[in-house]
Amino acid sequence: MIGLVDANNFYVSCERVFQPQLEGRPVGVMSNNDGCVIARSAELKALDIPMGTPAFKLEGLRQRGEIHLLSSNYELYGDMSARLTQLLRDACPEVAPYSIDEMFIYLDGLDTTQCETLGRRLHQRIRRHLGLPVCVGLAPTHTLAKLANHLAKHDPYYRGVCLLSGHDHTTEALLKRTMVANVWGIGRRLAERLAISDIKTAWDLRESDAKQLRKRFSVVVARTALELRGTPCLQMNALDQPRQRIMTSRSFGKPTGVFAEVHNALRRHAQRSAEKLREQRSLTRAVMIFLNTNRHRRDQPQHFPHALVPLPSPSDDTRIILDAVRQGLEKIHHPRYQFMKAGVMLLDLVDAEQYQLSLLHQPGRDRHPFLMATIDQINQRMGQGTISFGMTNAPAAWQLRCAHRSNRFTTRWDELMKVGTHPGAIDACTSRTQPLP
Amino acid sequence: MPGKSLHCVPALPLTSQPLPHLTFLGRAGFSGFPSPAQDYEPRTLDLNTRLVKNPTETFYVTATGDSMEGWGIFDGDLLIVDRGVKPRLGHILVAMFEGEALIKRYALYQGAPHLCSAHPHYPPLPLEGSDCQLWGVVRAVVHEYLH
Repeated sequence: MIGLVDANNFYVSCERVFQPQLEGRPVGVMSNNDGCVIARSAELKALDIPMGTPAFKLEGLRQRGEIHLLSSNYELYGDMSARLTQLLRDACPEVAPYSIDEMFIYLDGLDTTQCETLGRRLHQRIRRHLGLPVCVGLAPTHTLAKLANHLAKHDPYYRGVCLLSGHDHTTEALLKRTMVANVWGIGRRLAERLAISDIKTAWDLRESDAKQLRKRFSVVVARTALELRGTPCLQMNALDQPRQRIMTSRSFGKPTGVFAEVHNALRRHAQRSAEKLREQRSLTRAVMIFLNTNRHRRDQPQHFPHALVPLPSPSDDTRIILDAVRQGLEKIHHPRYQFMKAGVMLLDLVDAEQYQLSLLHQPGRDRHPFLMATIDQINQRMGQGTISFGMTNAPAAWQLRCAHRSNRFTTRWDELMKVGTHPGAIDACTSRTQPLP
Repeated sequence: MPGKSLHCVPALPLTSQPLPHLTFLGRAGFSGFPSPAQDYEPRTLDLNTRLVKNPTETFYVTATGDSMEGWGIFDGDLLIVDRGVKPRLGHILVAMFEGEALIKRYALYQGAPHLCSAHPHYPPLPLEGSDCQLWGVVRAVVHEYLH
């Protein structure tokens, strides 16, 4: 069984852990430099405020106190994400982070009942011990687990945990009412092409002949159909979809604790991720790096650190991403550990064209708009890595605009949550010192 | 407020591994005789191992107010809050009470569970009929004398 643990409105939920006054209120989190809304609480969604709404349009609502808008606090989100991953690692045989708020867990050797029990326990434990609401989808394949997770999130009947065995009536009914465009790995354009062949629902896709699918569409479509049947055949990295996040990771030839070696591997992954990013014409808002030691070597000290570095403005510039990678690595690298695997993840992607059209576009990002395109072209023609970046070392003087950032409650001593010893103690105190945002 | 510059270590290690420390094994010069200290492998006492039992589920908060002084919690003290501990009577808790984060002692008062302070001005708050959610159990309080 494969499980997908997905946090509900992750950024907002992280904020709420330390700011109870935000509970039940419409809350939005803004992109870097307070540009637009990138995360919304259920209450904000109910107000019909779409994702990506420019912050200035909401200024009135914010000033009247009808909604809360916060600057993104990636340090907090990164730390909470690391805690979530660690909690899962302590409970499951294998965990693979898929994005900052989604993790796959692999539960080989457990039967359906045991899986469901574990899913429920995790759901409850994450809620109580970390304060984060999550949903858990369990199924035999990645694609079905994603659908199960969707069901767990949107159908209150499941109370946050949904198990799809792949062969029962629930699975069938769900697949029949799921449009094929909502299946993991099937993009909108592909869905249109499938519709012409009368494949409209996920069930239609499942019932189609895999060989035919492979011939007429692609191997990914054929594999997705098999996945929907309950036959696992997708590797997590092999999914070819317009991604919300891009990850490149690989194990080392031999474990290493040397900074330069780890750095080099990460630089390679970063350059590859940046290429993928430009290929799908997206910009990234934040860069996450992670390192893993070999967890099968019980005799060696284990460490699975990760670091998240927000960018001053969305970018697809390899140099900026490389710089963020170096910053992140300096934070988490420790020579004591023998790292076995390193990865780079680009998060909170935004459509490049849309972003450039927006009024909020800040010049400066595209100082050399053709440099990246030229490098990509050369690398495509002459083979990957023909041209790559040498070490850049100038530390960027990044000054993020974050007027409404909440405290970094878990990573800074002077920004801890204040707790009163009696009702009203905080108010009495904040009138003496600076107010909480 | 706890001092700023004194604390430059990360808030907590996110694995259950001990923090990295250099080990130092004593040797008595070139004489070839092993140092008698060698039998006692040097260890460093790490407060994390004593005060932080569940690193993933441990959070730090700052106490504000005077009503818990009777239990040894003063304004500005650092509290180590373990969210993985099941609360029992007598524990000191951080709880979300009517939408506000409070430090209180979870105890019986007139036979019913209440959130109690150690100050006559602040009467016990009954749990029954109120909106109260556990946030975490206070494992330790750190009161710094030098800043």
